[in-house]
Amino acid sequence: MSTSRDDYDAWELIEAYFERGWTDGLPVVPPTEKSIALMLAGAGLAGHETIGEIPERGVVVSAEKLAINAVMAGCRPDYLPVVVAAVRGLCHPHFAYHGPASSTGGSAMVSIVNGPIARRLGINSGNNAFGQGTRANATIGRAVRLTMMNVMNTRPGFLDRATLGNPGKYSFCFSENEAQHPWEPLHVERGHRPEQSTVTVYASNSLYQVYNQLAASPEPLLRCFADALCNLGTPNLRGFNQSLIVLAGEHSDLLRQSGWSKHDVRRFLVEHCRRTLADLKRAARRPGAVEPGDESAWKHIFERPEDILIVCAGGQAGSWSACLPGWGNKWTRSVTTLIATS
Amino acid sequence: MKLFDPTTTPRERSVVLAPRPRDLRGLRLGLVENTKFNSDVILNKLCERLVDRYGVTPGRMIRKRSPSHAVTEEAADELRRISDFIVSGVGD
Repeated sequence: MSTSRDDYDAWELIEAYFERGWTDGLPVVPPTEKSIALMLAGAGLAGHETIGEIPERGVVVSAEKLAINAVMAGCRPDYLPVVVAAVRGLCHPHFAYHGPASSTGGSAMVSIVNGPIARRLGINSGNNAFGQGTRANATIGRAVRLTMMNVMNTRPGFLDRATLGNPGKYSFCFSENEAQHPWEPLHVERGHRPEQSTVTVYASNSLYQVYNQLAASPEPLLRCFADALCNLGTPNLRGFNQSLIVLAGEHSDLLRQSGWSKHDVRRFLVEHCRRTLADLKRAARRPGAVEPGDESAWKHIFERPEDILIVCAGGQAGSWSACLPGWGNKWTRSVTTLIATS
Repeated sequence: MKLFDPTTTPRERSVVLAPRPRDLRGLRLGLVENTKFNSDVILNKLCERLVDRYGVTPGRMIRKRSPSHAVTEEAADELRRISDFIVSGVGD
């Protein structure tokens, strides 16, 4: 369980974690018996408790190992309930962990936190929500990834076969901006009460930002999203795409003022995210030569409106939002898990 | 000061391999298609070759929900019932 040596100084201890391959490439906070106990207490857990399992990998995630990784990531003890819920989500059969975790596509596991705990812990939902500078965002996402590496056997080159990976694989956690939301937030949409707290895990390709400063109504703005979502290089063009859309301040304001519902937005995107069969064939995304009729044969990339997740986060100023293309609805589903709060 | 091991060793499980047939002639072939692009094309081609070269009897192709998902119990039961041996697994 632990290795003792009396003469480690702080620097040597950090190096020892590197040498054993236990880090994500950044220095970790070396755990102590005290910090592990405090971390477990933060979620009211005993070390022997089971958080989840990945049966096809023969992996069981214990509370003790989760707490060790959370200390290493730099979490405060009161962050642990969020990490626990995120890992439970990854272990849910609907998430189908083994595919998105090991695929050459190299997905980031995004944790979206909703409810009062997000505000209590200071999880950033505003300016630079995807960027650096907020301990809760940085360390909760990092704890999830370290747990994936160290406990769930998801090591680069072994059961993580990412061709390129993406920077979100270090850490990716943010909360929804529920205060200035045009609609009900994600956890309420998924059947939870506003006063409950949840984390939603979602396997994401690299995000790309969508810019539009001139749109004064939903249609032109959403055409930009539709164009971005059905680019020819996107992985799932055969109708089972899924995507997470993160609307930031100016764009969510525009949609609020328009009176469009979340379902209206989804329906518009499903209708407009399409390419002609000729386009797909010219780009070798479908086999065969272009034939008569292919120029007017439209292929939609989303099967259903619910394959488009919509959340709100980001600063109030700026004409930016983001698309986070997902892994395809037949490969994995996002999972929302209740966070146990005292 | 101590090092605390953050890793977990996966549980080992023993797997009994099915006995390998000495001769494929007349045996019923089952195929498990994992939905990877062109995996059905490759498996069908492989089936043709096995029929031509070894005289196997082509059987059903079972399609998984995705490469991430296991074969369902129902599909596994059917494969057991209608196949003598199975070809599964197409990667990138």
